[in-house]
Amino acid sequence: MGDEKKSKQRDGSMVFESMYPLLALMLILVACVDLCDAATVVDVYRLVQYDISGVPFGSRFSSLNHHAASLSFHRGADLSRSVLILPLRELDLGFLQDYISQKQSLGGLLILLPQTLRPGNNIVLSETQRFRKLLAQLENLLVHANIPFPVYFAFENEETDAMLADVKKNDALGQQATATTGGYKLVISVSEPRKIASPTITNIQGWLPGSRAEGDSNQLPTIAIVASYDTFGAAPALSVGSESNGSGVVALLEVARLFSTLYSNPKTRGRYNLLFALTSGGPYNYEGTQKWLKSLDQRMRESIDYAICLNSVGSWDNELLVHVSKPPDNAYIKQIFEGFSNVAEDLGFQVALKHKKINISNSRVAWEHEQFSRLRVTAATLSELSTPPELLESAGSLSDTRQLVHEDAIIKGVKLVAESLARHIYGHQRKDIKIFADDSSLAVNPFNVRSWLDLLSQTPRVAPYLSKSEPLITALKKELEDYTAEVSVQHESLDGIFTFYDSTKASLNIYQVASVTFDLLLLLVLGSYLIVLFSFLVITTRGVDDLISLFRRPPSRKVKMV
Amino acid sequence: MTLFHFFNCAILTFGPHAVYYSATPLSEYDTLGTSVKAAVVYLATALVKLVCLATFLQVSETEVFDPYQEALKAMIGFIDVAGLYFALAQLTHRNISQNHKFQAVGLGWAFADSVLHRLAPLWVGARGLEFTWDYVLQGLEANANLVFTISLAALGSLMWLRKNKPKTLIPIIYTCAVIIATMPSITSYLRRVMGWHFPKVVGFELMTSLVMAFISCQLFILCQRPSL
Repeated sequence: MGDEKKSKQRDGSMVFESMYPLLALMLILVACVDLCDAATVVDVYRLVQYDISGVPFGSRFSSLNHHAASLSFHRGADLSRSVLILPLRELDLGFLQDYISQKQSLGGLLILLPQTLRPGNNIVLSETQRFRKLLAQLENLLVHANIPFPVYFAFENEETDAMLADVKKNDALGQQATATTGGYKLVISVSEPRKIASPTITNIQGWLPGSRAEGDSNQLPTIAIVASYDTFGAAPALSVGSESNGSGVVALLEVARLFSTLYSNPKTRGRYNLLFALTSGGPYNYEGTQKWLKSLDQRMRESIDYAICLNSVGSWDNELLVHVSKPPDNAYIKQIFEGFSNVAEDLGFQVALKHKKINISNSRVAWEHEQFSRLRVTAATLSELSTPPELLESAGSLSDTRQLVHEDAIIKGVKLVAESLARHIYGHQRKDIKIFADDSSLAVNPFNVRSWLDLLSQTPRVAPYLSKSEPLITALKKELEDYTAEVSVQHESLDGIFTFYDSTKASLNIYQVASVTFDLLLLLVLGSYLIVLFSFLVITTRGVDDLISLFRRPPSRKVKMV
Repeated sequence: MTLFHFFNCAILTFGPHAVYYSATPLSEYDTLGTSVKAAVVYLATALVKLVCLATFLQVSETEVFDPYQEALKAMIGFIDVAGLYFALAQLTHRNISQNHKFQAVGLGWAFADSVLHRLAPLWVGARGLEFTWDYVLQGLEANANLVFTISLAALGSLMWLRKNKPKTLIPIIYTCAVIIATMPSITSYLRRVMGWHFPKVVGFELMTSLVMAFISCQLFILCQRPSL
């Protein structure tokens, strides 16, 4: 009987013991349930982080967990555990410059941009121009500095406005938000940024063959039209680059469409092949263009008569510039420029020639045609920019949004390129013929221009963050397939001096927190309430004597024990 | 907002029950068993109410006060009263005086109600970083609910357990009991039709609970005199 009891007890204890780990696991799980229940969640976009030959630039951190502070803080206050919220409207560039150059520590920086600068927002306000300038200066400062704290961009909305007003009020009163005084806490929980292992750049080329005459076995000459489609800006998730170089891409696609119509009929097919190329890697010394050219068949490359590169043709009025690297008195350059200026005269604007010599020892490639010139191919760049852009400048920054581009400018540019090409191909150099006249079947289609421009103005296109099968690349490929006979896509890896880091987009949680003193106060109040309740109940139900007797230990007992 | 706040709200919500048990003579007479039985009856009542609500009520998408739905909810609310009757009159308790019986039943009932309705939101919500006053208000509501339940239990014991009551007081007893029993409908009416915010509603509940407690106390004392 005793054994039975003992075995039963053992079974019971064994069952109990086996439940211990389960119980412990449940307790741990229950304690670790971390629910994100912030009142406000905002989409934020991180400043770009990259290295040039190992030298770090941009914001080097991504996760954030600090209290919010505004510009009204008292000078000399310690901001190393706060996030500074800077609306673009009240930006003081000098202050920020000092802060960064003196390497003062800051918990983080959140820059609030007005809604009019949001990609996809086409409202034009008069003050947007001032914001654009300020934003361009800010971007220039941030992109070329090494910043040891996270920097994020966000768009203003009602919730951030309310929060900022509250924070400013508290700061003005001198109560800076810390753990003991309450306020707002900004939390972005993402993993630390990692290097992008081997970023790919994708070049898309379309080949439109010309018609060969009977018995002619020579290779037909080729004319190339090139535009780079990728951008670079302070926030890679927001760099839509409508002007640089969305306008160039749209112009190229429209020219391709016009010539595909012309070439579809064998009677009107010219004796020139046309090669359309959408290259990537533009901001990085046109690395994509160089790789694409080197990958071309040698015979093909030698058959290129000349190449026209399109770069920023969307917001000019009266004058478009033709940039060349060969001296202006070169016969080919003269021919090309004359063709352009004749057409321009007919269309009612001007073109000007600008010459910039290539310095072989300098690795900086400012214009796309320089990559052609380095391989002995005649080329020119059509652009509205008058000075060659610096490295990573004019490559599609945050201020480059859809409102900056006029469709008319692009349409004029398309007409210029198409007419001068057609006159060259069909031999009508000095004749006053309009092949792509309005109201004809070969007219430039403004709806096509507008829809592609709108699409590109909502698609950020920073090359290292585009995958090989990105929808945009597929769309561009499909468009060129409609217009040309043969399309090929080339994937290359972006090696060289640039290294990029991921984590470009995140969600910011804004919590309104109460301070520790508030909690202690509440504990005090509740404790006294419970004590009062207790005394009240004891007095009403048992009498005051009982209450007093609870606190006085009966002295008679001690006497008894002795 | 952090475990500290959770702890604060927890002692506000559940503290008074423990204080009530230890402060009054209930602890001396060891009436814990009664309270536990009352809690179990509450659980069963809650299940029955749930089934009835699911069967008979239509879910409305908007926060509109539909009088028929509210009347239906009030009728289902009377299942509560039936449950309380069962706990007071039908269950066998140890020999404890009527005075303590209704207190113990009311305490157990209110404690089960607080745990079922308020513990889960507290655990899930009060531990986050974001601070809201909701959980403090919920704790105050739990306090008001405790007073309401004890008053209802007192009136219930008067109605069902005491046989000789002064005739004039009977209608008053019944009206008070009806008012307390339909308290949930009254608060939802206030919240939806009159648009009162949560703090205002909680304040109203606290005041009414004190008034009702005073009235039931007086009624109890008045009814106690003849049986002496």
